[in-house]
Amino acid sequence: MLYALMGLGLSLITGVLNIPNFAHGALFAVGAYLLVTAVNVLGNFWIGLVVAPLGVALLGLAIEYLGVRRLYAAGHDYQLLFTFGLSLILAEAIILVWGPVGISHLPPEILRGGVDLGFTFYPKYRLFVMVVAGALVFLTWLFLEKTRYGAIMRAGIENKEMVSLLGIDIHWLFTAAFAIGAYLAGIAGALTAPIRGLSPGMGVDMLGIAFVVVALGGLGNLLGAIGAGLLIGVAQAIVAAYWTEASTAVIYAVMAAVLLVRPQGLFGIR
Amino acid sequence: MNRKTLAILAAVVVLPLVLRPAIAAEIWIFAIFGLGLNLLLGYTGLLSFGQSTFFGSAAYVAGWLLKHYGINVFLALGTGVFVGAASAALVGYLCVQRSGLYFIMLTFALNQLFYFVAYQWTSVTGGEDGMPGIPRPGAFLGIDFRDPLPYYIFVSALFLVSLWIMKRIVESPLGKILQAIRENELRAEAVGYNVARFKLLAFVIGGAFSGLAGVLYAMLFGIVPLEAISFVTSGNVVFATLIGGSGSLYGPVIGSFVFIWLSESVSTLWARWPLLLGVAFVIVVLFFRGGVVEAWARFSAWWQERKWRSSKQNG
Repeated sequence: MLYALMGLGLSLITGVLNIPNFAHGALFAVGAYLLVTAVNVLGNFWIGLVVAPLGVALLGLAIEYLGVRRLYAAGHDYQLLFTFGLSLILAEAIILVWGPVGISHLPPEILRGGVDLGFTFYPKYRLFVMVVAGALVFLTWLFLEKTRYGAIMRAGIENKEMVSLLGIDIHWLFTAAFAIGAYLAGIAGALTAPIRGLSPGMGVDMLGIAFVVVALGGLGNLLGAIGAGLLIGVAQAIVAAYWTEASTAVIYAVMAAVLLVRPQGLFGIR
Repeated sequence: MNRKTLAILAAVVVLPLVLRPAIAAEIWIFAIFGLGLNLLLGYTGLLSFGQSTFFGSAAYVAGWLLKHYGINVFLALGTGVFVGAASAALVGYLCVQRSGLYFIMLTFALNQLFYFVAYQWTSVTGGEDGMPGIPRPGAFLGIDFRDPLPYYIFVSALFLVSLWIMKRIVESPLGKILQAIRENELRAEAVGYNVARFKLLAFVIGGAFSGLAGVLYAMLFGIVPLEAISFVTSGNVVFATLIGGSGSLYGPVIGSFVFIWLSESVSTLWARWPLLLGVAFVIVVLFFRGGVVEAWARFSAWWQERKWRSSKQNG
């Protein structure tokens, strides 16, 4: 589910803006670290969970407005270099602010411990994450499919010139898409913090996975991103149960295998 | 022999006098790496963000053979070139079917695949600690490569050979076809070239250069760090090529000189130097998009105009 969130956000950004967002993983990491700080300062997990992703969305807004916006005319190489530079800056900033050592973070009091599901014993917090992430994916889907703004965004993926000819401010659309994508990355990071703990390298690891999800799901195909995210998550969990060391490499191996058979991705049309 | 060739020959001679030979050697190694990328990026128009896959794989395989079997230096170089080309063929085969953003993301994701294999396969690669203890080849024709200076000469000679080969490639009919693909892929296809196959060929050649650079790197430092196969290395070589100017044959050479020299001098001062590197990326992209070559052209144009203005005022 977390992978689906990451993939959805990235797919939105790459689809609408047509840029390779190498800072997506860094936004994820910033979300996680902001959560920890918010919880430490405000003393409340729930407020933190609301504030941290909003902070990341603001950061995304600033990045698009101040930087990415100037680069739509430039080639992918410069866009890539820009977002890659940003991800280096954010990763180093994390080290400067929060230190190079990993931090572990406990879930809030009510969500500690496990639940007896009858057939297995499952940690409460993971259930909570699944529910929240699932709800978010559903809400995003609802927003994109059922609302006017969502329709504009999907239209932006299909044909940008037509959208701007219809009198819609395309710059606003780009900024909004980047901010929403950043928000999704941020909340995925915030939710992950209590499960896996935090380390400055967490962003890069997630970035690769997000790219795999997007590549499998099809670029700009938002439902495909959700499906691929779920698939990758399940595949990794199954492999991790038998051969823990290989679980990360397996994600990429699955991708390579799928692309051999279906170069356009699992759900890709283009 | 033209001015550019002379300038490079002069640089080869002068560099070890002003910089430590190890850094000077690293510059030329990185330049070989950049030449390989530039064939893809500058000449074929393919932005590969996974060049460290070939660099790192070659370094690991050749390093392992050097360490455990003490193979001959030329065999090690050959192994590196072969491993670089073979891994590039593998990655290229998967990637050339897609273009644009997909292509970039795929090269990156496959880079991550190799990275995680190297990261987890600790018994061979040493994981996060890297693979240490790679011997530099011993005496050859009475020259001991274990001294920094002879090794520098060896590296720079290989660099010059690589540069010459690359010059021949880009000026050959093959190079022209690749440039045709860069300019207009559909038209190249329509004229009858199998675009996917030529892209793959460019990948393999680029991989061979990366592999050569990887082995030289491993022998230079005696260790293959995990970083050698990480995406940061891929990003660095893209950056170096772009600041040098990806359009020309000499761009990556200038770029790697600037990049290695700067990073070596800053990284010793501050452990958080990737932060500055990131800032540099952002500044270059936002303000100096044509690289050093264009920045120089702009500066000299400004200087000319200033001179012209002042002469007009005086006269």
